[in-house]
Amino acid sequence: MKVSYQWLNEWVDLSGFNSPQQLADLLTARGLEVEDVRRQDQGFEKVITVQIINKQKHPEADRLSLCTVNPGSGEYLEIVCGAQNMKIGDIVCLAQIGALLPNGLKIEKSKIRGVVSNGMLCSETELGLKKESDGILILPEKTPLGWKLSDVFGLDDTVLEIKLTANRGDCLSHRGIAREVAAAIGKELKAPTVKELTFANSPIKVELQAGADAPQFYGCYIDHIKVGPSPKWLKTRLETIGQRSINNIVDVSNFLMFEFGYPVHIYDADKIEGGVIRVRKSEKGEKLPLLDGGEVETTGEELVIADAKKAIGLAGVMGGGNSEVSDATTRVFLECAEFNPTLVRRAAFRTGRRSEASLRFEKGIDPTGLKLAIARLAALVLKVASPDLEAKVIGAAEAVQATAHPKKTIQTSVATINQQLGTTLSTEKITTILKNLECEIETTGESFKITPPSYRLDLAISQDIAEEVARTIGYEAIPSTIPVLTGMPRSEKNDPVFHRLSTIDRMKDILMEQGLSEIISYAFHSDPWLQKFGMKSTVKVLNPISEDQSCMVPSLLPGIMKAYQENERHHFGSEPLPVRLFELRPVFDYRGTSAIEAKGESDTGVTEQWRVSFLISGPRFDQALKAERGEVDFFDAKAIVETLFDTLATKGIRMRAATSELLGGAASLFHSGQSIQVAAGKEGVGFFGRIHPKLESELKLRNPVFWGEFNIEPVIGLTPMKERSFCAWSTFPTMERDFALLVSDSVSADHLIQSALKNGKPIAKVVKIFDTYKGAHIPEGKVSIGVRVIFSDAAKSLEEKQIDQCSELIVKKWQDEFQAVLR
Amino acid sequence: MSDIQNQIAANGQAALSSVAAAQTLADLDHVRVTVLGKKGTLSEALKSLGQVPAEERPKLGALANEWKSKVESAIDARKVDLEAKQIELELVKTKLDVTLPSRKIHQGSLHPITQTVRKVSQVLGRIGFDVAVGPEIETDFLNFEAVNIPKDHPARDMQDTFFIGPGVVLRSQTSPVQMRAMRSQKWPVRILSPGVVYRCDSDATHSPMFHQIEGLWVDQKVSLADLKGVLDFFAKELFGSDTKIRLRPSYFPFVEPGAEVDVSCAICAGKNPTCSMCKGTGWLEILGAGMVHPRLFELAGYTPSEVSGFAFGMGVERIAMLLHDIPDLRLMFQGDQRFLKQF
Repeated sequence: MKVSYQWLNEWVDLSGFNSPQQLADLLTARGLEVEDVRRQDQGFEKVITVQIINKQKHPEADRLSLCTVNPGSGEYLEIVCGAQNMKIGDIVCLAQIGALLPNGLKIEKSKIRGVVSNGMLCSETELGLKKESDGILILPEKTPLGWKLSDVFGLDDTVLEIKLTANRGDCLSHRGIAREVAAAIGKELKAPTVKELTFANSPIKVELQAGADAPQFYGCYIDHIKVGPSPKWLKTRLETIGQRSINNIVDVSNFLMFEFGYPVHIYDADKIEGGVIRVRKSEKGEKLPLLDGGEVETTGEELVIADAKKAIGLAGVMGGGNSEVSDATTRVFLECAEFNPTLVRRAAFRTGRRSEASLRFEKGIDPTGLKLAIARLAALVLKVASPDLEAKVIGAAEAVQATAHPKKTIQTSVATINQQLGTTLSTEKITTILKNLECEIETTGESFKITPPSYRLDLAISQDIAEEVARTIGYEAIPSTIPVLTGMPRSEKNDPVFHRLSTIDRMKDILMEQGLSEIISYAFHSDPWLQKFGMKSTVKVLNPISEDQSCMVPSLLPGIMKAYQENERHHFGSEPLPVRLFELRPVFDYRGTSAIEAKGESDTGVTEQWRVSFLISGPRFDQALKAERGEVDFFDAKAIVETLFDTLATKGIRMRAATSELLGGAASLFHSGQSIQVAAGKEGVGFFGRIHPKLESELKLRNPVFWGEFNIEPVIGLTPMKERSFCAWSTFPTMERDFALLVSDSVSADHLIQSALKNGKPIAKVVKIFDTYKGAHIPEGKVSIGVRVIFSDAAKSLEEKQIDQCSELIVKKWQDEFQAVLR
Repeated sequence: MSDIQNQIAANGQAALSSVAAAQTLADLDHVRVTVLGKKGTLSEALKSLGQVPAEERPKLGALANEWKSKVESAIDARKVDLEAKQIELELVKTKLDVTLPSRKIHQGSLHPITQTVRKVSQVLGRIGFDVAVGPEIETDFLNFEAVNIPKDHPARDMQDTFFIGPGVVLRSQTSPVQMRAMRSQKWPVRILSPGVVYRCDSDATHSPMFHQIEGLWVDQKVSLADLKGVLDFFAKELFGSDTKIRLRPSYFPFVEPGAEVDVSCAICAGKNPTCSMCKGTGWLEILGAGMVHPRLFELAGYTPSEVSGFAFGMGVERIAMLLHDIPDLRLMFQGDQRFLKQF
């Protein structure tokens, strides 16, 4: 909210402040954060009035003019100008060299198409006076020359921009801010004297028909007013705080709102039919034209103001176009009323018409001051809309429900407040603070019964009182202590939550150590992007900022692939770019048959499955000579996965070649001949391998890309919680035997290994493939495989004979099971 | 001098010259064979001693042996030289341009958000906080109503929320984790809830998805002074021991009293009016905090009169940007390795 320093000074004596900044600091320290303190002449320091003496076309540019201007001194200046709306003799604004305009534009001496320009002639937009303007600003004829613009306009006020918190509706006016200042500096509020109205003789009666939703309504009927421009003082007040002046009637109601905090409305009394105003719930389907020219259809939920025949206003939001004050209006009916904040808020949201008025109703207005506000409004109307002093109040109406002025009290004590704050304040100190804030206090020993002022709707519990005390003494006066640790801190041993989080941390560390960079990508993408991967989201954002961010991810692939492409996008080198990324976060799925809806207090029905995903592509080494850098292939991806699970020491991780059947829904994502399914125990947790060539070409990937994604919960479940135990190794020498086998190339190496381990029990401890060869001397469809078997025994040295026997058996089984031929 | 005597000396001299002339170990070995071998010149000389008178034999024998050992030690010495030379040659032959690039393996990195979450958790872990996490898709009840933001409350304007279905939202804060924690355990509660949150806001300084860490401490007789102490410790640990904090009264529906918390600007300490960090104010706003509103205790099933507590929440991106001088929030979510590998 914008606050005028001069206006505020009318409400509370600010002479004790050295500067508006000092006031701003005080307000900020009390919780009314001042975001900006701006002198009105800021940006106008080097803008002066000049007269155009000569105007001709720029010699080099048809669209530019070359103006000679007189700044009053007779020392003419040449200015290049793009606008065409000025003529010789006009008085205009010149931003001189060195000026820094309110819009941030800095004026420097410059050559424009070969001609030196000694400044800039300004438009209202450039001066920050209007959002849009045509051409440069032309001032009235008799404006003196060489004056500073701020002097011409009388810009001598300072504006404070205050970021009010949602609970301080009472501060949404100059009076409210003044109350805060007065309490802080211990001064009296300088309220204007207002002549009370007599609530009688109103030609228009008021009826409340909405129960507690509209507890009070005050009206005032004034005749013989004249609609016209506002007097200068009124215009200045409004324009200073960024409000546009419309006419004296509209302006005066705005003025009252920014002064007193009450949103009020003024009707053309002649347009109210039947001599009555009713506040009621709307009926469904009523059509109500509004002041802004639009029309709304009511739903039966909102409050409306109506006359005998029709709705004439959307209560608390906007007046009706059918009762609007026009230039011809002579009789007006003033309204100051209280409406249910929730109903106003909903109506404003639903109709898209949140306004300064609805904002104040939403936050709640002081229920006790309406009578004073309408009297003040009536006085202001008489002051500004009665040039011939003929206008007069014909009558006033009031309607008030019995429940209109609830009084609430707060029970607390000195000890409670001190405990909540960690302070040792005295009863006197606390009492003084609260009294300055206009709280009524009944003290019984140490305990307080506090009645907050009617405008402080936010004060309801003891903690609220503690905050009032704290912000008055200043938060810097609160001591600083470290709380005592009670009970036992949580034990991390055998704690599944801790185990899960620390396993996730270790997964990230291991992948980082594999040379992968962690990414965090958006959890939502567009439907077409997901479709590229054959995916569809079952969890959609109903109100996305854009369609690009509307579908919650069912997989981490769309995000990591986007990051891959982002890296490729800015890579122009001749060598492939190494891209090595991983991400660990949940994906979203909903399996319900009906639409997503909350079930009870804490269930959404949406499943969040945490996954880890990685992607590699490009050179194997970060740097090396080109011939040595290599390029990652399937086995680099396999190494990452093996390292991950080996380092975690996860039990029961199994890998098997992925077939199209195994891949299932992922068959379009992976190259079926270069991918593996990983299972943790019996549960398949995901796949890794090369991206399917078709997808590769659809995504225009420049190099082969290898990707994997795993569901991490089963992995965490099989990762031991307890510390690792030492495992002794054999002290006797190991023996090796190498075999060269010729087998069909459909035989997978793993089967040969498993067979050897099984048949070589108990002494064949390790079986490794050390070579494969296809090509010259090897028949088509066959492959030569070099297998090394390592034998050992924990208790003794092995004898040659024992190894020979064991080897024979292994080879025989290879021959039987795989038709392997020993070469 | 007998002829034999001369012959021995001449052979010896010749052998020494050959040793000196040998350029390779093979040359040297050749010299050894031709001089000291079975048919070598000195060996032959010794053999021929049989022909000389017996009285001359000892003298000539001694002479021949003298030459033999002279040549032997010359050969040994030369061998050491030549071996050293050969190694030297080998070194020259296998010399590398050691300034050529190494076969460096790729260096991975953890996202600055992850690093910041870990740092914060570590610092606050030292004084007793445990980490807790919860779902990103939440009920409206836990995201709002349970933290004292009823439907139609003006405070809902503070957080523009993404909706998934009736009563289902993308959580706009990690506070639901706190409520879940309180509902599942008795006090004392000391938890940190780091995690992803979402708000409908996207520009240079707002991302529709970002991260928060909230802290909650509930026990008997916890005070605002305790909150101040914890935050003071936290700020000093994270930003340096000279760091000061400043609390300003503010409003969040789930706390009362509430505060905005600033830390002193480590870059300029308020001395540079054009400081890119603090804009010359000397303070950087980093978190919101306050004393837990008793309404939350009611909703958690606690008895409000028995307990009190404090809560605070911070934007992780903001902290990470301060710690690492990151100029643009959007860099965090683009997955650009040029960015990621810097941390």
